Amino acid sequence: MLMPMIDTPTTLTAIAMMAGIVYLTRLTGYFVGLRLRHIRGIQPVLEALPGCAFMAILVPAARQGSISEVIAMACVILIMWRSSNVVISTGVGMAVLLFGAPWLDSLL
Amino acid sequence: MSTSKSALHGIRTSADYFISTFLFGVMFGITAASAGLENWQALLMSATSFTASGQFAALEFWAAPLPLGTIALSVALISSRNLLLGMAMTHHFDGHSLGRRIVWLALLNDPGVVNSFRMDAEVDRLGYVTGYGLSMMTSWLLSTFIGLQVAQVFAGLDLGAIDFAGPLVIATMMMLFYKGSKSKPAPWILSGVVALILFEIGAANYLILLGSVLSGMIVALLQARQGEASVDVDADD
Repeated sequence: MLMPMIDTPTTLTAIAMMAGIVYLTRLTGYFVGLRLRHIRGIQPVLEALPGCAFMAILVPAARQGSISEVIAMACVILIMWRSSNVVISTGVGMAVLLFGAPWLDSLL
Repeated sequence: MSTSKSALHGIRTSADYFISTFLFGVMFGITAASAGLENWQALLMSATSFTASGQFAALEFWAAPLPLGTIALSVALISSRNLLLGMAMTHHFDGHSLGRRIVWLALLNDPGVVNSFRMDAEVDRLGYVTGYGLSMMTSWLLSTFIGLQVAQVFAGLDLGAIDFAGPLVIATMMMLFYKGSKSKPAPWILSGVVALILFEIGAANYLILLGSVLSGMIVALLQARQGEASVDVDADD
């Protein structure tokens, strides 16, 4: 069955909307930070935010992940801990997902 | 270090994430082609949005009639961490004109921000993050193009396992952040615990993000106040 077509103006509207939203999130955070920067002791708070955001994404992802996904993430964390090598850690993690998932996920 | 040298430094130190972004871009190109996007539309999306996770989320809903509201909400929620990245750089982009900051913030990117915390104080942070972003953008566009070209080859394969690649890349950034940041880990640990609790009680994704980040902020603020108080006591002694 053929997929119904999405016309070009609608596609362009969606792309422009996405670009605007993403750019606004980049801009807004910085300018909100500028308004807050005069608060005493705020710098370490703002600089802790990326770590808090990463944890808010990672923990639920790991909690609902399959065995292969949890093992892949453990491999990534372990390799990053030891070597800080993004390419090797991501490569090993992806290999676990692609080649280990069929076997690992059948264990449970 | 000058802004241009810092930008070059950002480009030079981005090799790791250039490669991992490249893998994602190829995947995005393949997925975009299978969702029915024309090549120029997928490339335009990559060039203007420049957000892997947001673009993948949009493709989840890419069917006629296009649900613009749903796409907007999902992209906004996924991109909300950009708010936090922008806030984290508040004290680091000084010394540049407002116009430059507004334009260059378009290239704000997670690995650039995380790695900038590991750089020496002399490195110009805006230049560094922008250079890093240019490298990421180059990788993202090139790989999207290649993904679109090879889409036919992969059309029949089940690539569902790759869905978890996003959290894996975020895990690498968390580890770099952990090793490079000078602040104590208590705020991130509490954020993780609160995220887990909120997830277990079935809270919506945006509430998980909001609740865990707010709790982390409160702990970081308390730590900062405690540090200042101890400095004051030392000064009094």
